[in-house]
Amino acid sequence: MLRRILFGLSVLTLVAAPHAVATAAVQDEKVIPAAMPTDGPRTLDPVRGSTTYDNMACAQVYETLLQVSYHDNQRFEPLLLAEMPKRLDEGKRYRFRLRDDVWFQDDACFPGGKGRKLVTDDVFYSWKRIADPKNGLKNWWLLEDAIVGFDSPENGKAFDYNAPIAGFVKISDTEFEVELTRPVFRFLWVLTMFQTAIVPHEAVAKYGSDFGAHPVGTGPYVLDEWIPKQRLTFERNPNYYATYYPAAELWSEEDREAGLADAAGQRLPIADRLEFAMIIEEQPRYLEFKQGNLAWIELPFTYFGELFSSRTKRMNREARQAGLQYRNVLVLDMIFRAFNMEDPIVGGYTPDKVALRKAIAYAIDHDEFNEVFYEGLCVQYDGPIPPTLDGHPKDHRVEGAPRGPDLAKARALLAEAGYPNGEGLPPIRFFTNSSAINARMLDLLRRQLGEIGVEIDGQMVDFSQLIELTNKKQAPMFSFAWLSDYPDAENNLALFYSKNVSPGSNHWNYNRPEFDALYEQAIVLEPGPERTALYEAMRDMVIADVPMVGSLARNRYYVWQPWLKNARPTPRFWSWFKYLDVDESKR
Amino acid sequence: MWSYVVRRVLYNIPIYLVIVMVVMAMLRINDPVSAYLSKNATEAERALKEAEFGLDQPFLVQYFQMLKSIVTLDFSAKSWYQETNTVGQVIGPSILPSLKITIPALLFSTLIAIVVALIAAANRGRAIDRGLMFIAVVGMSVSFLVFIILGQYFGAFWLTEKTGVDLFAVRYDADRLSGNFAADWVKYFLLPVMISVVVSMGYDTRFYRTVIVEQTNADYIRTAKAKGCSQARVMFIHLLRNAMIPIITRVMITMPFLIVGSLLLEVYFSIPGMGATLLTHMQNKDFAVTQTIVAILAAIFILSNILTDVLYAIVDPRVRLS
Repeated sequence: MLRRILFGLSVLTLVAAPHAVATAAVQDEKVIPAAMPTDGPRTLDPVRGSTTYDNMACAQVYETLLQVSYHDNQRFEPLLLAEMPKRLDEGKRYRFRLRDDVWFQDDACFPGGKGRKLVTDDVFYSWKRIADPKNGLKNWWLLEDAIVGFDSPENGKAFDYNAPIAGFVKISDTEFEVELTRPVFRFLWVLTMFQTAIVPHEAVAKYGSDFGAHPVGTGPYVLDEWIPKQRLTFERNPNYYATYYPAAELWSEEDREAGLADAAGQRLPIADRLEFAMIIEEQPRYLEFKQGNLAWIELPFTYFGELFSSRTKRMNREARQAGLQYRNVLVLDMIFRAFNMEDPIVGGYTPDKVALRKAIAYAIDHDEFNEVFYEGLCVQYDGPIPPTLDGHPKDHRVEGAPRGPDLAKARALLAEAGYPNGEGLPPIRFFTNSSAINARMLDLLRRQLGEIGVEIDGQMVDFSQLIELTNKKQAPMFSFAWLSDYPDAENNLALFYSKNVSPGSNHWNYNRPEFDALYEQAIVLEPGPERTALYEAMRDMVIADVPMVGSLARNRYYVWQPWLKNARPTPRFWSWFKYLDVDESKR
Repeated sequence: MWSYVVRRVLYNIPIYLVIVMVVMAMLRINDPVSAYLSKNATEAERALKEAEFGLDQPFLVQYFQMLKSIVTLDFSAKSWYQETNTVGQVIGPSILPSLKITIPALLFSTLIAIVVALIAAANRGRAIDRGLMFIAVVGMSVSFLVFIILGQYFGAFWLTEKTGVDLFAVRYDADRLSGNFAADWVKYFLLPVMISVVVSMGYDTRFYRTVIVEQTNADYIRTAKAKGCSQARVMFIHLLRNAMIPIITRVMITMPFLIVGSLLLEVYFSIPGMGATLLTHMQNKDFAVTQTIVAILAAIFILSNILTDVLYAIVDPRVRLS
């Protein structure tokens, strides 16, 4: 009977076969099937986007002036620019020269439906959109107070796109200068972020509030179809300018051995089509990958043991024999427990207050958190600068940093703080975002601190409440994570700058004039030993004052099929799909 | 009969108005704008979002605007999470995929559960009854998630990999649809439906068996048997109709959930239904969609209650008199 049912159902599904064959016959183009672990991007309008998936989608259609280099994710390089920006007046001004062969994709918004050339005014227009309250101001923080005369109107006033802005100086259709309010190097990193991508005013005018679903850009791909919650497909942009795969000499020895330099000089984009499927759950995503329906995936923690040895963290034999390849990337992550430095009990800079925070730091075992909650894949490091960035400590350690577990030291420091065995210390109110995993983390923290007699009054609240409490300086101790916006430790160190105290992003309300002075000195410097030394000094200052206990950085494992070529996945930017190739003979 | 229906409708209107008010108030206890915006949000951005969705208006104004949009079926407010879509565009296309799972699942599970319950009740105390109830209890004891994970793994992955029978898909993929409704339904929806039926069978069978067993001791059953009716006629004709009230109640309770869909099934099989939509929009603090879906669900719940009362009255005329 069961056989009959299976046979009947098989026949029914075979009815579809001719259609499927016909579809396959027309597909001799190179297609990269990938997954988004979400129900899709929120918008394809860069100034309204903010999530990783907005970034992933926008980066295929739109381009920024600069991009993170594919061969070296720590650096950036020109994208829409003909050369690197020229630094003038010791970094107070930058001169930009656009490529003169960049055209917007063909679209009905242009006369005759033919895309036009990218010009300086497009750059100014696109950045002005970030300051326009009509666009939600979601990304205004990127350029706020950065450019001379560039402000967002207050009190509900409309943004005047025609009003001159002193900091925007047009020299020609391909050349312009930007004058900064102060010479901050960070500005160039901001220009790699997808929110600052260049859009044509014609498309915004034509599509209005639907512009987010009708992207018109200069990027390697154009939107083919977007079915929310299901799929997002892109086709090669026939107007894409002549740009090429990074030259062989740019790649490291290791990358060259991995074949990443083999495509050097090939014109981009290499693949004809990108197909993103929205697959929220881990199991179907993993099974689809195993069935060969996805070119690559970010391996979920729960499936780590399927393809990797949990002891060596290397790919197992079965996976290697199947030809699968992988790359693990340390995320620019800072997972920590924090103190409000203005709190009367845990805050303050006097020796007894520092001793109390250090005692807590020595009692916390981050390794245990790593093993229990992250399959042991995180990297524990001292201080606020994530791995791979300038200023990150060698071997992830800073001598003398209060790293637990060292209960004897913790007890001694607690006594020094005036609370021997925790006596006299009231329960410390600790706030964290409510979720099942955070409840378990809270239990672990409670147990670890309980061992030295420190009692935690754990409070699980909504993320919005957590932010509100920290903004109002009402959370004595709290926990959340910071994912760097760009690979420069300045992004993390800004969190300790006193001008950013709550409701700004300095939620620990750290206020040390010496730190501020170093920070102001560092932000105007270009990368180099001098700036790194300042970063290290700031890092050590934070470690000594203990406004936070940490940190952990997650390690992501990207796995791809044997037929995917040139893959070097990274979560730091998403315009790398244009470098991918498909080896049909292995597929 | 009609006066009874009108009475039920009028009785439920104030209940609905209160439900919507309570729901709206509860959704505003924690500031929805702060929840939605990122940690970098400025005060200006917060104020802008509040004004955009009318959250800066007095509560009663917002309440009547909400009622107006429900009555006029105007769901043109923008979704907060998918800013390019209106609330209607988010919710509308999600209903059909959900119904493709929930309606067959409800039909199959109800019919199978009633038949199994009748067989068990007819053989009360015997091995067949105990065996069926044992299976039902086992089915109830295992988590829905386990059924989904195992069902998807063995049905859609293992079966294809090990036997070459490519019967079910790991996930719904609009790109791979054949255009043949029946074939596509089998490939993408039958496995989730089967999992759903297996899960609900345990609960339904036990409940229906209890209802039927109660009826088997009734006088009219004894009379029917005394008059020489066959066992099948007694069970299916006489008993079933009298057992309908609890069965209707149970079926009607599930009506609102037909629209909501099966959240876990939809998420695991990437089916773009209402359950998955509600989950992702709630997770992403989409206040506009969440508020509308909750208000619609409350309306459907009230309507299904009214429909239940009407069905009671049809099945048992004494209900109308009381």
